[in-house]
Amino acid sequence: MASVASHRWVGNRVLMTLLVAAVASVGLLPFASLSPNRLASGQSVMLWQALASWQLAALALIGMALLIAALAKPMDPRASQWLALAATLPLLALDFYGLGDYAHRALVDASPAARVSQGATFWILLLVSALIAIDALQRLRLGLIQRALYGALALAVIGICFSGELLAPLSIMREFANQEENFVDQLIRHLLLVGGALLPALLIGLPLGLLANRRARLRNGLFSVLNVFQTLPSIAVFGLLIAPLSALGRAAPWLGELGVSGIGVAPAIIALVLYSLLPIVRNTYSGLAGVSSGALEAARGMGMTPRQILWQVEIPLALPVILSGLRIVTVQAIGLVVVAALIGAGGFGAFIFQGLGQYAIDLVLLGAIPTIVLAVIADFVLQILVSLSRPSGTR
Amino acid sequence: MIELQGLTKTYAGTNVVDDVSLTLETGEFGVLIGPSGCGKSTTLKMINRLVPLSGGRIILNGDDVTDLPAEQLRRRIGYAIQSTGLFPHWSVAQNIATVPQLLKWPKSRIDDRVDELMAMFHLDPAEFRHKYPHQLSGGQAQRVGVARALAADPEVLLMDEPFGAVDPLTREVLQAELKRVHQQTGKTIVFVTHDMDEALQLATRIALLNGGRLVQYDRPIEMMVKPADDFVREFIGQADLGLKLLSRRWVHQYQRPPSLEHHATLPGLDHCWQLDDAGRPVALEGARLDDDHGVTPVKPEWTATPEMSLKEALSRMVWYRVMVLPVIDDAGKLIGEIGMQGIMGIQAEAGSEVS
Repeated sequence: MASVASHRWVGNRVLMTLLVAAVASVGLLPFASLSPNRLASGQSVMLWQALASWQLAALALIGMALLIAALAKPMDPRASQWLALAATLPLLALDFYGLGDYAHRALVDASPAARVSQGATFWILLLVSALIAIDALQRLRLGLIQRALYGALALAVIGICFSGELLAPLSIMREFANQEENFVDQLIRHLLLVGGALLPALLIGLPLGLLANRRARLRNGLFSVLNVFQTLPSIAVFGLLIAPLSALGRAAPWLGELGVSGIGVAPAIIALVLYSLLPIVRNTYSGLAGVSSGALEAARGMGMTPRQILWQVEIPLALPVILSGLRIVTVQAIGLVVVAALIGAGGFGAFIFQGLGQYAIDLVLLGAIPTIVLAVIADFVLQILVSLSRPSGTR
Repeated sequence: MIELQGLTKTYAGTNVVDDVSLTLETGEFGVLIGPSGCGKSTTLKMINRLVPLSGGRIILNGDDVTDLPAEQLRRRIGYAIQSTGLFPHWSVAQNIATVPQLLKWPKSRIDDRVDELMAMFHLDPAEFRHKYPHQLSGGQAQRVGVARALAADPEVLLMDEPFGAVDPLTREVLQAELKRVHQQTGKTIVFVTHDMDEALQLATRIALLNGGRLVQYDRPIEMMVKPADDFVREFIGQADLGLKLLSRRWVHQYQRPPSLEHHATLPGLDHCWQLDDAGRPVALEGARLDDDHGVTPVKPEWTATPEMSLKEALSRMVWYRVMVLPVIDDAGKLIGEIGMQGIMGIQAEAGSEVS
């Protein structure tokens, strides 16, 4: 009976659940923490202690709006979804602004070593606004352009928060200020490692996928081998490569001069290529296998050469599936490069392992958050490419 | 002209096509028919060499097909299949233009040809040019498929069960259109089907295959009245043989001058047409099944045209319960009549084939 009743009152159960989670988090978990120095553990600060009264009032208003959007009445579903979507932007802004503003006020009288860090509630509010936005965007069935527009707005809100001095007193931003030059270096290194792995993976994987499509007898063996690579734990592969690569680097000094050794970039890229092959080969194969046999028969029957069939029919029709494979591999590689820092390849993983060693959580986050952001951006960009590559009529 | 000489295809030691020889003259509509697995599709696909020959020869307008590069040969031959095989990522216009593109025709010539073909298949270029295959109905997609096969004005058109996957109503319309296009273009067509009614409707020559062997190669009427053996007789079906014959006979072959005054010759058949000033039939006096002397207003649904098959004329008589139909010309003028007697008078002998 309870569920029947809730059906009558609640129009959007996802939104209601998120709202309850956010309220519970505000009541139970800290919004920020204040610690005397970089390494000491801090003292919890709850949301209502951290925010100024006008900010609390604004937050209450946003909460009310979301509650109304979650209820079945008085608004119709579509208007509710628009309201929820619109409410996520001020929620996002308030989450950042509240934290930065609190840090400014809390540190006025404190020692220079004192630090303010974000707490669980800050993250949960961030996550909840993202989930509300995703839910609303899906229910509204908006097109790619409208979704991108919303994403740009949300990014603009976050960008404005980061642009001024607002967030500067936060511990993580001070870590960033300490590491600023290093941060750009590691970003470039991270991207170079990803690109350096994807390019050879594509150069090897695409022809292998085509081969798997053309030679049925090779297919099973090929996929078995690639599957084995996929099941090996990444750290184990790095470990396994140390011995042969350092031997190679010693045996052929010119290779050693090029940077081939047991640790560093060479084993990282080799391992990443091995991990990337299976998704690329499998998606290339299944993309080609998915081309309708009727289209292929007609293409042959009308006198297209095998090369024309490949470039004009098979590849355009397989492209969305191939690009989906590239999307998987790119996101996966951005994550795996973090682990490659263990063998000295660099990238954002360097911050993470350094932070773990020093028990400096904010330094860990300085490595982890940009990695996540990179992965999300890469995922979004490739998603757009996938939809653009769909045959025009079926997009 | 296509000549198959001792054509043979062997898979794993079995002859799926076994020593098939036949000649199809230019402009003929040849239908390959037979039960599943009889080798009809394989025979068709050997003509454009999608299936390599194991033995025998195929001569296309004097050229042995195996002497030509396969791609060059195929661009001389139109090819339409059941699944249409339209390219889903190309618009209707691009699909139709496939072979002219391969032959590197100038763009203006391609555009003109695409419009011409779309008009021939009643597809409004303004509406359909830029549509994609998934936006078409089954019948429209099949029309585009046939238009694409005809695009480069091929010497021969090969069709592999092109109407096998569309609903019966659409199939009838497409058959009629194909028949019209065949008459308009005079193309030599080789058409594979397993549907005898479709074969009788379209063919000028039928080749019946069974187990890879050619059982009989004849004109449709001869197939019906002089089956080579029991297999042919069975495959054609005896139950509605009379109706099948009627489907191959035309009103103009059996019509007679209209009766404009009463003759009390035969009971039940005494009738007379009332005409208006323009010579169009207005009503029929008598010759109704249930009422010898009633006056029946003429409706368009139960008139006949000279091109109509006797089967359709009979169907209209039965449905509207009249013993005779007015035969009218394009302007609606009464030019003759076709009666039950005319239909019953068909001769079950060959040779009167016209179309």
